[in-house]
Amino acid sequence: MDLRICVPRGALFEESVEALSAAGLPIEPLVNLGRKLIVECPGGPTYITTRPSDVPVYVESGAADLGIVGLDVLLERKPDVYELLDLGFGGCRMVWATQAGDDPAPAAIERFGVVRVATKYVNVAEAWFEETGRKAEIVKVNGSVELAPLVDLADGIVDLVATGTTLRENWLVEREQIFASSARLIANRASHKLESAAVDELVRRFAERAR
Amino acid sequence: MTDPRARIPLPDGMRDVLPVEAGELAALGAALGSVFASFGYRPVETPLLERSDVLDRAQDEGLGRAYRLFDDQGRVLVLRPDLTIPIARLIATRMADQAGPVRVSYNARAVQPPSAGSGQGAERRQAGIELCGPGGPEDDAEVIAALSAALAAAGLPAARVAVGSVALVAAVLSAARVDSERSVALWRALRGRSMVAWRAEAAAVKGAKGRLRTLLAELPTLRGGVEVLERVATVAPAAAPECSRLSRTLDLVTAQGMPEPMIDLGVMRDWSYYSGIVIEAYAPGVAAPVAVGGRYDGLGERFGRARSAVGVAVTLEFLHHAVGAPDDFEPTGVVVVGGLDERVTAAAMLRATGVRVIAVASGYRDAEGFAAADGRRYVARPVKSGWRIVDVTTGSTTTVASLEEGPWT
Repeated sequence: MDLRICVPRGALFEESVEALSAAGLPIEPLVNLGRKLIVECPGGPTYITTRPSDVPVYVESGAADLGIVGLDVLLERKPDVYELLDLGFGGCRMVWATQAGDDPAPAAIERFGVVRVATKYVNVAEAWFEETGRKAEIVKVNGSVELAPLVDLADGIVDLVATGTTLRENWLVEREQIFASSARLIANRASHKLESAAVDELVRRFAERAR
Repeated sequence: MTDPRARIPLPDGMRDVLPVEAGELAALGAALGSVFASFGYRPVETPLLERSDVLDRAQDEGLGRAYRLFDDQGRVLVLRPDLTIPIARLIATRMADQAGPVRVSYNARAVQPPSAGSGQGAERRQAGIELCGPGGPEDDAEVIAALSAALAAAGLPAARVAVGSVALVAAVLSAARVDSERSVALWRALRGRSMVAWRAEAAAVKGAKGRLRTLLAELPTLRGGVEVLERVATVAPAAAPECSRLSRTLDLVTAQGMPEPMIDLGVMRDWSYYSGIVIEAYAPGVAAPVAVGGRYDGLGERFGRARSAVGVAVTLEFLHHAVGAPDDFEPTGVVVVGGLDERVTAAAMLRATGVRVIAVASGYRDAEGFAAADGRRYVARPVKSGWRIVDVTTGSTTTVASLEEGPWT
């Protein structure tokens, strides 16, 4: 099997490697990755490691056949790929959070007609406020989103939360859950058909483990 | 001074096509076209611009992304984002009187603004066919066979054709008594290619029990050969007619000597006008399907003439990537020095015999360099006794009395 599998570096990395191992794939080169971005397993798959948010790009373009990626990234990027399986790890929530105490959002809408939202997830945030009938002004930030409401850059944030510790430490309170996220197995459209036997076999083994 | 190449940007997603690619694309288009013609498909053309209400009639949200402009009356025009709808319009209106079956082919460019950061082009050359016949599995099979034959003729014998069926999925949903709201969610999951969302929705269906429940949950992940159809027909008898139709289609394809398509019930087009079989073809090295199509019996009615129709279109850019560079490139043609002026008659006479003649002026210095750069095989120079001919690929030289005696065959 010479599938190319895109594995996200960062928070999902360790559990991705565990899942691959449990599915019977060789993972030795991934464990001793060092600074390498791409490693080949003799007689096994080739692993490509990228930033989590880049996984869909690699899979959609066919640079990788399969990929492991959080639902949060999928919903934000909306790549044209097959979403094959919920891998069951990497659980977290996409939330709308504002400062503790009185929720400033209703007042903002009443007085200014909009609520200001700081987020890395521009598309998710836009869709959520549209669905819930509120006009939002989205401010795109690339990190430390929690800072934005503290310095009055925004009324609140849309962000991914695992335990909620960071929110609490920054005097923020979760107001709405937008969706629950977990790691997904995705496939390139062409690879899904051209490598159908290998893909189906791998999906079967992943599914057994997830159960 | 800035590099002159940096000065003139193109719109997003637009690009030029240089001679090598243009030649290869034209050859691919011709190869597909001649196979389509061998099945009796005749070329038609539709205009570059359509009135936007034509697209609106197709009532499809998938066509939202398009370049739009206004005519001098303020009417909204659309640069065609797809060929299927204009072709359906053409057949329903201009060819409404033809009893049928109607077989038409096309090779034209569709334009759709690329999504940002996708790295995809805006223009797509689509070479396809459309068959308006009685609407049975025979028509579906002919279109698949023509597609396979055309791809093989274009240099892609190993393309994999996968087929699904909108009608089959719909029959299973109704067998499982899925209510309309849940059914909308299931279709959305399928079009979004999310097996995870499909399973979640299917798990919430109350009516289905036992084997039917399992079948419903696994439906879009089922693929393989006729055994898939046999299972569906056994568990959901309401879907049996669609299963036997699809199985008959496969038989008719293989009876024409074409490879058996893979059944894949997860194959689904993004657009809602499909009503029966759905067809996709894949090739190694290309991330998206090289060809897509299917049956859309309801589309013609929206243009005033209901007609069963099945069609498929190859995206030439994807096919071009899949086929790769031709490995048998050989320099051809003769650069005739003086062929533009003093020896213009001799050059014209040689050209008339069928040889490719590239004329340059008498004083042209580096004819060999020009021939090599341009992919030409020979250089011919007038000398006292006739012509001295240099084979640019080997460096060998011969002298002949007249150009017609040269080494070209």
